[in-house]
Amino acid sequence: MNRSIRLVAASIYLFFGLLVLTLTYVQVIKGPEFRDDPRNPRLLASRAGRERGPIIARDGQLVATSVEVATQTGAFERRYPFGSLYAHPVGYATFLFAERGLEAERSSDLSSSRNLTFSGMIDELLGRDTDGQGMRLTLAPDVQQAARAGLGEQIGAVVAIEPSTGEVLAMYSSPSFDPNRLVEGDTEYGESINRDLDKPLLDRARAELYPPGSAFKVITTAAALESGTANTQTLFEDVPALALPGSTSTISNFNDALCNGGEPMTLAVAFERSCNTVFGQLGLEMGPDELVDMAEAFGFNQKLGFDLTHIESPIPVDFSGNLAGLAQSAIGERDVRTTPLQMAVIAATVANGGISMQPYLVAETFDRELTVLGSTQPAIRERPVGPGTAAALEELMIKTVNQGTGRGARIEGVQVGGKTGTAQGAGGNPDAWFIGFAKSGDRSIAVAVVVENGGDAGADATGGRVAAPIARDVMAAWVGSP
Amino acid sequence: MNRVAEASLIAGAAVLAALGVAIANLSAGGSVDAQVALTFISFLVAWGGFWITVRRLAPGANPYLLPLASLLSAIGIAEIYRLNPALGSLQRWWLLTAAALGSLTIFWLRRGTTVLRRYRYLLLLIGLVLLLAPLLPGSWPLGGVSVNGSRLWLRLNLWEGSSIRFQPGELAKLALIVFFASYLAERRHALREVHRRIGNLELPEPRQLMPLVAAWLVSLIVIIYERDLGASLLLFAVFIAMLYMATGQGIFPAAGVGLFALGAVGAFQAFDHVRRRYDAWTAPFEDFEGAGYQIAQSLFAMGSGSIAGSGIGLGRPDLIPSAATDFIFAAIAEETGFVGAVGVLIGYALLIAAGFGIAVRSRDPFRKLLAAGITTVMGVQTILIVGGVTRLLPLTGITLPFMSYGGSSLLANTIGLSLLLVVSQEEHR
Repeated sequence: MNRSIRLVAASIYLFFGLLVLTLTYVQVIKGPEFRDDPRNPRLLASRAGRERGPIIARDGQLVATSVEVATQTGAFERRYPFGSLYAHPVGYATFLFAERGLEAERSSDLSSSRNLTFSGMIDELLGRDTDGQGMRLTLAPDVQQAARAGLGEQIGAVVAIEPSTGEVLAMYSSPSFDPNRLVEGDTEYGESINRDLDKPLLDRARAELYPPGSAFKVITTAAALESGTANTQTLFEDVPALALPGSTSTISNFNDALCNGGEPMTLAVAFERSCNTVFGQLGLEMGPDELVDMAEAFGFNQKLGFDLTHIESPIPVDFSGNLAGLAQSAIGERDVRTTPLQMAVIAATVANGGISMQPYLVAETFDRELTVLGSTQPAIRERPVGPGTAAALEELMIKTVNQGTGRGARIEGVQVGGKTGTAQGAGGNPDAWFIGFAKSGDRSIAVAVVVENGGDAGADATGGRVAAPIARDVMAAWVGSP
Repeated sequence: MNRVAEASLIAGAAVLAALGVAIANLSAGGSVDAQVALTFISFLVAWGGFWITVRRLAPGANPYLLPLASLLSAIGIAEIYRLNPALGSLQRWWLLTAAALGSLTIFWLRRGTTVLRRYRYLLLLIGLVLLLAPLLPGSWPLGGVSVNGSRLWLRLNLWEGSSIRFQPGELAKLALIVFFASYLAERRHALREVHRRIGNLELPEPRQLMPLVAAWLVSLIVIIYERDLGASLLLFAVFIAMLYMATGQGIFPAAGVGLFALGAVGAFQAFDHVRRRYDAWTAPFEDFEGAGYQIAQSLFAMGSGSIAGSGIGLGRPDLIPSAATDFIFAAIAEETGFVGAVGVLIGYALLIAAGFGIAVRSRDPFRKLLAAGITTVMGVQTILIVGGVTRLLPLTGITLPFMSYGGSSLLANTIGLSLLLVVSQEEHR
């Protein structure tokens, strides 16, 4: 029996040998790889306790700050003095719920490496800087507040951009959430906002797609003017419905009405009245290439160079055998989808003479002594239209606000231009859009507002009625209203 | 090794446990508090009391077993306390209970293990009942409870809102090993000598394979109805090992591996939970959010510990699910590194060496098989769970002897240790 007992013992030791080899593989050979795997929660957990540099708004107002945890020396917690106001762009850095937004994307810049990593200790010994960086944002608190107040309880988003630089002045998504409760580790709250069907965690400004509806007509018009298909004085027939080639469907106007009592009208009049039949026809006349190229020059089908992750706004590129789709795309329906950020870039480009600036959120980074470490230089993203076309579009948009569908955005004594949109959204009621700009003295602002599913107005919602007043308040917060 | 050395090693383990608790406190920003003293005292009372019993009633018992087991449990209790101080203090009570039951076992068997052979069919019955007890309806006062999809707990309702939970499978294991040892010691000649020849092959009579098939069927029942892969595999492996040790016939392990393969393929085909375990083993990162989560967290923990470890209380083993029970080894490997993890394995290797030493030196087949069986179960259990958390083997949720949190496991292993001590004492006479 002793022989077989020894054999069993030997096989057990053989397995012990294999265990040591496996441990060597897991801990020694693959150890650093497992340690640095982005899914390893230790990375986040170790960062969560570190001191982070402050995040401040444009005017220096404190948006995020690190405070030492009372019960634990050397461990820090984030505080967001304005709660839900900056929750989407700034995000959060927490222990239990990891990180999100700017806090996640610039985590390694923001957090101090002192004492917590081996390289951090070496850096400290060598006297290198191990502090987290502070960041100054382009966001203007007054504009951000106006965006929140304007949306109120309605679901939607507001993006405002300084047209000549690309600085993002406001970026607000509604509903929002309170990052402080996530820092506190309130799991019930965390689960409730995760489950909420209104998706408060979603940043609608940069990560949700909507049909742009008539707000897209700015692009259609830009393509028509730039390609010479039409000018602002070109006359168009006023028809109750536009028959679409190769299809039984038609394009009709809002409430199936005529735009000009059946009389021919200029492109300018069609623009300010947002006449669907005219723009559907314009799309058919210029053809798919002009329309798609112009949309892409304005930023569709690509990233916008923004310094937070954002999704691309898609427009189909192949309309062969689908002229009906082309006409519907020309009025911002069918498969055209867009983010509020993209729409704000369009408005800013028009207001900036056709020069499209890269939008950005972080203006500068600074160290503990408030010495600026780096600042973002405004950069040109693209020039989709020449100055002439830009001026013509600007004029059309100003008229739209002065006497057309965008009257709700008028600010006394300020030059305001804009375009409304009322799109068939995913909900039962329309998604209401307003994109536009305001200029007063040396200050200018471009804005995009979307209100989902009709907002408070429900089925009666239009861009002019629901979104334009929000845009007016947001713009007035920047250019000032007398 | 003399008694003083044995006693000082046990005292050293008590110091180690207290030191571990103190370090865990300090790294959490606390101070050296009553928990440190309590750990030291309960350790000294439990293992020291056990040692005194052994010295009184079994003075010739193997002197290596108690120091090694107390060392492993010291590392275990420090890590459990570090993971969850509440569990740590509960484990102290379990330790005291286990030591008391271990001492009682020594007292009961102070005249030798013969009494165990007399009751072997009773033990078989107790073993099977314990093994299958979790299948009792959960609504009964004494009923089964499912935890994480496995039904291996028994819950006894004491009074309104109060109940005790216990894993009877741990004790069933011991009862069955005693039965196997006694049965095989008696039947080993028959099992070895009756065989038929087919050409050059010597095959046992089919009826001699019946015990093997019976054990296989019981294992299958455990897999199917209790969903407990670990216990099933452990029982079957130990039974085959004992059959082989009793007879020296290579056909038994060969047939056992064949039956295991058959059972494994069948279970894989038939059961989702087996398939999920398999997928989590082969590709834990594919289903990172789901079945692979546990094993991925275990790998992250051990990888983060690397060679020297993060230090007790400085890692984040609390991020591993079931860190104090099934994954205690991964937690220790994170905080003490490769060095500490291999150290723990050496501790088990020495414990197992001592156990097999007792078996080899024993002159009586029953005691030989008893010692070898208990040692094999400790060894296989260590391999299964350490292999599981390091991804050498598919994960089977079983405890690491003497280290994992849990009363049932500690009780059963301490009683097993007592049996080894009694066997070694008997040979000494």
